[in-house]
Amino acid sequence: MRRTFVVLFILVALVATACGPKATPTAAPVATEAPKATEAPKATDPTPATVVKPVEPQLLPEVNPLEVTGNVVTAGSSTVYPLAERMAERFYDEGFQGQITIDSIGSGAGYERFCKTGETDIANASRAIKDSEKEACAAIGRTPIEFRVGTDALAVVVSQQNTFVTDVTVEELALIFGNTATKWSDVRPEWPAENILRFIPGTDSGTFDYFVEHVFAKDKEPHLTAANTQLSEDDNVLAQGVLGSPYAVGYFGYAYYAENAGTLKALSLNGVVPTAETVEDNSYALARPLFLYSDAKIMQEKPQVAAYINFFLAYVNEEIVDVGYFPASETTLLAAQQAWVAAMQ
Amino acid sequence: MVSQVKTGIYPNETAAHRAALRKRPRISETLIQGFLFFCGALSILVTLGIVYELGKESLLFFTRQQWEETNRTLVDAMNAEQTTFRMTETGMALSVDSSIRLRSEVMTVTDIRGDVVTVARAQQNTVAAPHESGVEIETSRRVTLAEFFTKTEWNPQIGKFGIWALVNATLMTSLTAVAVALPLGLCVAIYLSEYASARVRGVLKPLLEVLAAIPTVVYGYFALTFMTPLLRAIFGVNTVAIYNTASAGIVIGILILPLVSSMAEDSLSAVPQSLRQAAYALGATRLETAVKVVLPAALSGIAAAFIVAASRAIGETMVVAIAAGAGPAFTFNPFQAAETMTGHIVRISGGDLSYDSIDYNSIFAIGLMLFFITLGLNILSQRIVKRFREEYE
Repeated sequence: MRRTFVVLFILVALVATACGPKATPTAAPVATEAPKATEAPKATDPTPATVVKPVEPQLLPEVNPLEVTGNVVTAGSSTVYPLAERMAERFYDEGFQGQITIDSIGSGAGYERFCKTGETDIANASRAIKDSEKEACAAIGRTPIEFRVGTDALAVVVSQQNTFVTDVTVEELALIFGNTATKWSDVRPEWPAENILRFIPGTDSGTFDYFVEHVFAKDKEPHLTAANTQLSEDDNVLAQGVLGSPYAVGYFGYAYYAENAGTLKALSLNGVVPTAETVEDNSYALARPLFLYSDAKIMQEKPQVAAYINFFLAYVNEEIVDVGYFPASETTLLAAQQAWVAAMQ
Repeated sequence: MVSQVKTGIYPNETAAHRAALRKRPRISETLIQGFLFFCGALSILVTLGIVYELGKESLLFFTRQQWEETNRTLVDAMNAEQTTFRMTETGMALSVDSSIRLRSEVMTVTDIRGDVVTVARAQQNTVAAPHESGVEIETSRRVTLAEFFTKTEWNPQIGKFGIWALVNATLMTSLTAVAVALPLGLCVAIYLSEYASARVRGVLKPLLEVLAAIPTVVYGYFALTFMTPLLRAIFGVNTVAIYNTASAGIVIGILILPLVSSMAEDSLSAVPQSLRQAAYALGATRLETAVKVVLPAALSGIAAAFIVAASRAIGETMVVAIAAGAGPAFTFNPFQAAETMTGHIVRISGGDLSYDSIDYNSIFAIGLMLFFITLGLNILSQRIVKRFREEYE
């Protein structure tokens, strides 16, 4: 009797605490977040989830990882690294017996290994190859073939309660996230004289590095010493923070924004709204393409390299959103597949 | 009666009797004793091991020169004699007199004009060597104890190591927690020990202790999704930041409440009944008895309870990691975000932290600092218990 009373009491207490936040009017944003978030992906243009489409079977020959032997050596961009790692894992899972080496050394160093020393089969890159690098490749008898596998884009976000900012320039971004401006009015006089509350990714993340590189000319000091700055490796913490005030601003990978488009507002940069198109054609300032580069001769001599790229192109769109990047459009991916077919002839 | 002096207990004790009565070795008893000793020794050794490891890594943090990337590279190749070079235009600012490193050679910067740097070559027992273009330039960071204990800005990435930014936040959350748990816990303890009937106490005490069984991560989200909105409703959305130390502190207060109430109740109950009866006999009311007689008598136990609870609040991690904020800030405003020592350790080690990086070593120094704070509190608590101890026969 007494025990049941105790158990009942605990249950009541738990239910009461669980219901608590919803009952208070202040928690309204949290409560309304869920339904909006589910309808959001349909409303916004770039929907990573819906871009995933089965690849046309006739273009690429079916790969059977079980039948492929030998090793694949790749090196390059740390941005491509998580994606390449995911694809390699899947390649192993489906029976590949060889070894895939993926070195995360940066795009430039990746090109150097591919074009100068020629020790890699594939260069992973988050920028297109430069002419000087192409020349270096030609000098060792390699002709790099480009395979676009996706796009990495950053979204600069504010809460939807923020009515005064919709578009900023990259220079203003440096002010908003830098240590010289404290209030919004310091950036543009017509903006409110309220503190800018900044929510930025942690210093270990590639997102932080990329932002520092492009907005702060590689100098992280002004970014890190800005007042009211909160850092987190967890995008959810940043999103919560930005939602918490109309004067908050943050940035993270576009994929995460797309999931929360119902409650957050992505700013346009220099008048360019981030969409699947603007991100892919590079007109949006904080986007960079993700590439694999290889050479026809290598692909023909080493069937495992061709098989790996084939596999990559065939299944990348099933994994890429999970890794946090923007999938390449169907036409871009098709072009990459055509390049693969052309290289193998 | 004639008494005869005998050595043994029994009148007719013989050597054989004595041998039979001698302590017999009991193997199971010895084994148990040995096992218990082993457990005790093990826990002490583990503690010593932790302190050793913390001390070792912190020593590295304070003594070793750390190298950080400046994101700048050499523009042109340089030979072993050259003392000026051009670096790429973008990247971290270098300062005169700082040490820089190219590959394994250390240099001291003597002059900077725009992107042209003049250096003294081959410093710190390194050898001057030619460097090709594109070599990364690294800059050095060295942390001094003086900087560690006097500065108020913590930002390892750019070489700011003032522990007070973190200590201050920890003190803010802990003081808030103690301010919540102290009066509440004491009231609960007085009620349970002096007013509640045995039946009510039998139900309430275990229920209160259930609070202690809730995972702290749940408390963390309770702070973020309930306490913070509540504070914002009361004080205004623009006054209270979404992550703030007040909300985390109040919730830690609730978290340590059972600790305070339970320990305080134990020491109140331990006060002998005769004292209460004496008070009643003198005409004291129940409240007067509780506050003026029982409470002072149990003071040492209650003080110990507070200090144990305070150490728990200082060490609390999950709640502050979720609700207090994620950027070191030196602020006395409880409605602003600030990162505590434990919160910082959690956040920094949550990323892809590489070993031997300055971030990695710094968390050991913070850990050691935390250890000393709680150790100090424990010593204080023992002193208090000794000082205020009232013994009743």
